[in-house]
Amino acid sequence: MYISIPIILQPLVILFVAAVLVPLMDYVGRKLGSEKLRDVFAVVALAFALYKLYALYIEVLKRGAVEFYLRSFAPPYGTAFRADALSAFMAMVFCLLGLFVAVYSIRYMEEDTGLDKYYALLLTLVAGMVGVTLAWDFLTLFIFWETMAISGYVLVGFRKYRWEPVEAGFKYLIMSTFGSVLMFYGVSFLYGLTGTLNFTSMSQQLLNVNQPLLYISLCMIVVGFGVTAAMVPLHTWLPDAHPAAPSGISAMLSGVVIKAGVYGIYRSLFTFFNPAFFNYGAILMIFGILTLTVANLMALLQRDIKRLFAYSSIVNIGYIITAAGIAAYVLTTYYSSNPTLATSVAVFALAGGLFHVFNHAIGKGLLFLCSGCFLHEVKTRDLNVLEGIGRRMPWTGASLSIGLLALAGVPPLNGFWSKLFIILAGLSIPQDGFMIVVTSILILNAIFAAAYYLWVMQRIMLREPKERAAAAHEAPFTMVLPIVVMAALCVIIGLFPGLILSLADVAARSLLLPVIGG
Amino acid sequence: MALSPSWYIVASIVLFAIGTYCLAVKRNMIKIVIGLEIVTSAMHLNFIAMGYAASAVAFNPLTQVIVIVSTCLGACVATVAVMYVINAYRHYGSLDVRKLRRLRW
Repeated sequence: MYISIPIILQPLVILFVAAVLVPLMDYVGRKLGSEKLRDVFAVVALAFALYKLYALYIEVLKRGAVEFYLRSFAPPYGTAFRADALSAFMAMVFCLLGLFVAVYSIRYMEEDTGLDKYYALLLTLVAGMVGVTLAWDFLTLFIFWETMAISGYVLVGFRKYRWEPVEAGFKYLIMSTFGSVLMFYGVSFLYGLTGTLNFTSMSQQLLNVNQPLLYISLCMIVVGFGVTAAMVPLHTWLPDAHPAAPSGISAMLSGVVIKAGVYGIYRSLFTFFNPAFFNYGAILMIFGILTLTVANLMALLQRDIKRLFAYSSIVNIGYIITAAGIAAYVLTTYYSSNPTLATSVAVFALAGGLFHVFNHAIGKGLLFLCSGCFLHEVKTRDLNVLEGIGRRMPWTGASLSIGLLALAGVPPLNGFWSKLFIILAGLSIPQDGFMIVVTSILILNAIFAAAYYLWVMQRIMLREPKERAAAAHEAPFTMVLPIVVMAALCVIIGLFPGLILSLADVAARSLLLPVIGG
Repeated sequence: MALSPSWYIVASIVLFAIGTYCLAVKRNMIKIVIGLEIVTSAMHLNFIAMGYAASAVAFNPLTQVIVIVSTCLGACVATVAVMYVINAYRHYGSLDVRKLRRLRW
């Protein structure tokens, strides 16, 4: 081999090269008379990238972390890539959902034009997210972040001949770009204090520094990532943009793009702002609870099925943010008196949060793809018209029910376990009144959410179908296939939660332990 | 005579405030995109000023690289933003964001 690509760059290279080759494949496919060539090519590229990420993950577990940087621009100055267990875990979740969506889009998008651009953008979207997780300095992170965001903006407005995607996409673009600029503005203060953008050297230099400027920077970074993660006062773009996008892209945005924001919050908070010195856990918990409560109340008012699922995504971001808040709060309050207890509770909470990232990515992706099937058959997102459609589309309906039950947290399914772990972490220190109150609100919200998930399920599955829904047929095979596989994943992980929980636990440790030591 | 870096930081914060004001108040879609560009410029200026402060030389290669890369990304964002503006104009015949009110909470 004359050219050897480092193992950490292989998934990125595959995704970006494939994105460039998709239009060529489209051209060749049309010459040969097989339009589907580019679709299959995109699916194969994503499968390959997922395989390479799996290989990277195995390598990371073996060695602890995989690093890459250019020899002549070594850290702390140049570009650096580094995969630890958290990065590789998140990257695999992103790529897995991308693969499902690409398979689903083969039939779902076939009536649209410009599909070469669609697949190229889908590949750059996944590549951007994978790059965000693998980046180890803020410049690299920012480049991949914008790659992801720009692909997202264009994909939301893919059907630009309708008014809804244009309005929603413009709103998304303005808010999300403002968020990423704010994030980078906050990073510039960190740069001023340390003179480097590399994560390792920056966190070493910021250790034990406690300046007011750092709090400003902390706020800017959290708010900036929080726009993409849709934390509650910053969530207003999400319920517009997610329903307006084509259903596969809704699944990507709701399932994983907001998780990239969550990854940013997790990574930047726990790497640079040691919770033993910075007191932000309580505020993060309050924001998480606020996100949960507001989004739950709003979800109840929706008649549009995709809008309802979009609000439910915000609810689930609330759980994940609260988990981070619990971890930070426990470390702030109890680390000095009882380091062992504080560390174990924090790892438990973060592992619960990361497990929920996986569960929500699969579950919400499943729900959006199902609503896409309904949209494909009946051409409406109105819950009143869709009543009873599950009886005419048994596979889709059954998978939708599994997805709804999983997100509602019904015991044998995956969503139950991650919520349970977050709640248990919140209740682990019984003498702390604040944590008990926050966790109680979280439990009430979980019950409330379960009620409306069951209400949706009852309407879709149990009522008599009316005229338009009664005429529906089962969706094509390649659309049902990813849905059924994802529903099966929900059940399998629900029965054997240790499969993913052990990975989430390793990821949480790799995030937390280098910072607090021990 | 070179000004101290804190002047540039103050200027950058003022610029950021102007851009945020523009984003919040203006009704014309083009002006909103311009507001976004002003905010981006404020961020660039702050990086340059911080590089100056951190290394005590006005020419800090790392910050120059950051700003150049970020400018390229900003150009892409602006292109997509203007694409949306054009399509919104085709739908509504107006650049007023108040016309874009069909999406409710």
